[in-house]
Amino acid sequence: MANIEPITGRYVHVEVQGTSYRVYFEENGKGIPLVCQHTASAEGLQWRHLLNDEEVTSRYRVISVDLPYHGKSLPPETVEWWKSEYKLTKSFFMDFHVAFSRALELDRPVFMGCSIGGDIALDLAFAHPDSFRAVVAFGSAELTPGFDLVWWDHPRVGPHVKFADPFGAASPYAPEKCQREVGWVLGKSSPQVFRGDSYYYSVEHDLTGKLDQIDTSRVGVYILAGEYDFAATPEMGRETAGKIRGAKYTEMKRMGHFCMAEDYDGFRKYLMPVLREIAGT
Amino acid sequence: MAIRFLDPNEAAYVRERINNDPEFRIAGKFMSEDILIGVGDAQRVIKVREGVVTEIALNPSPLDKYSFFIKAPEKGWNLFLKPIPPPFYQGFFTAAMREDFQFGGDVEALFAYYWAVQRMLAVIRELQNE
Repeated sequence: MANIEPITGRYVHVEVQGTSYRVYFEENGKGIPLVCQHTASAEGLQWRHLLNDEEVTSRYRVISVDLPYHGKSLPPETVEWWKSEYKLTKSFFMDFHVAFSRALELDRPVFMGCSIGGDIALDLAFAHPDSFRAVVAFGSAELTPGFDLVWWDHPRVGPHVKFADPFGAASPYAPEKCQREVGWVLGKSSPQVFRGDSYYYSVEHDLTGKLDQIDTSRVGVYILAGEYDFAATPEMGRETAGKIRGAKYTEMKRMGHFCMAEDYDGFRKYLMPVLREIAGT
Repeated sequence: MAIRFLDPNEAAYVRERINNDPEFRIAGKFMSEDILIGVGDAQRVIKVREGVVTEIALNPSPLDKYSFFIKAPEKGWNLFLKPIPPPFYQGFFTAAMREDFQFGGDVEALFAYYWAVQRMLAVIRELQNE
């Protein structure tokens, strides 16, 4: 008998800021919708272990999306995208996720993301508190500066730096095969994508002075930081959560930046209590 | 803790270990760079030609050229070289962002061969803990 996973992948057409995008997503499970956003330069398959976790999919409809220009979500067909530099903006990123949830007719999903996905989780909690019942942010903080780096898209640097980046950003406790897989996935992106995503992460994302306006009675906020995450350190995560009344913070011991992909068994120990709390079980 | 790759008597063995590492041989393909490693006041220049470490120069003079450098105090290297380093010492870039490592020189070349450099340092970490 064929060993086929229960994950299904489909395309949905999503209109964002007047442009239609053919968006790839994978899903599994039934229950509360849980939209998962990948890191910079990556794609939804970073969440493949979560999508196959029966304890999660028995309560949640887990949906992992490839952001436009990533994975199987190609650039739009109606735009000469090659004539402008790819830069992920906060405006597009937020509008995309509101439109994606509407396109799938999701009822106030939980939004969960890592790195750029974690930062946009906090931006969504601030700007769209009634569109999501809770946000869960990894690799995220009020500000995450320092990564809009020229070598991400320099033609003489190329894919080696993307491929090898996780060997430093992941935790040394993470299984090596998983760290290597993270690198493999990051290395797949087209030129400009890592740099363009990092533009959002380190330049556009800035919640300075706004965190105390996030209303956790409308949208729950969970911030989890990996002990080895140098991009958004535990100190940064703790300080960010401390400025949001009602936000919950957890430090994830022995975890790095790419937590959900680099060490899923370690990751789920921290994730499961959060998902149980959100589900009220 | 004595840092093994600084030991002049170990230079040939360090070179052999890096050159025999199957991943370094892939990652370092095309690489011809001189890499200065600074440990406090001690310095070594690892010379790579077409992906092969040809020499580890001991105590280079100020006139010796190099492509790029990675430097840290001895205390920082001791943390970096632990089998399981403490947070942010897991990579030279992470240690430069958050701790006491520095890199510089021809940064374009450094990041062009980031994979090879990471692997070289991983081999040095491995032999430190043999």
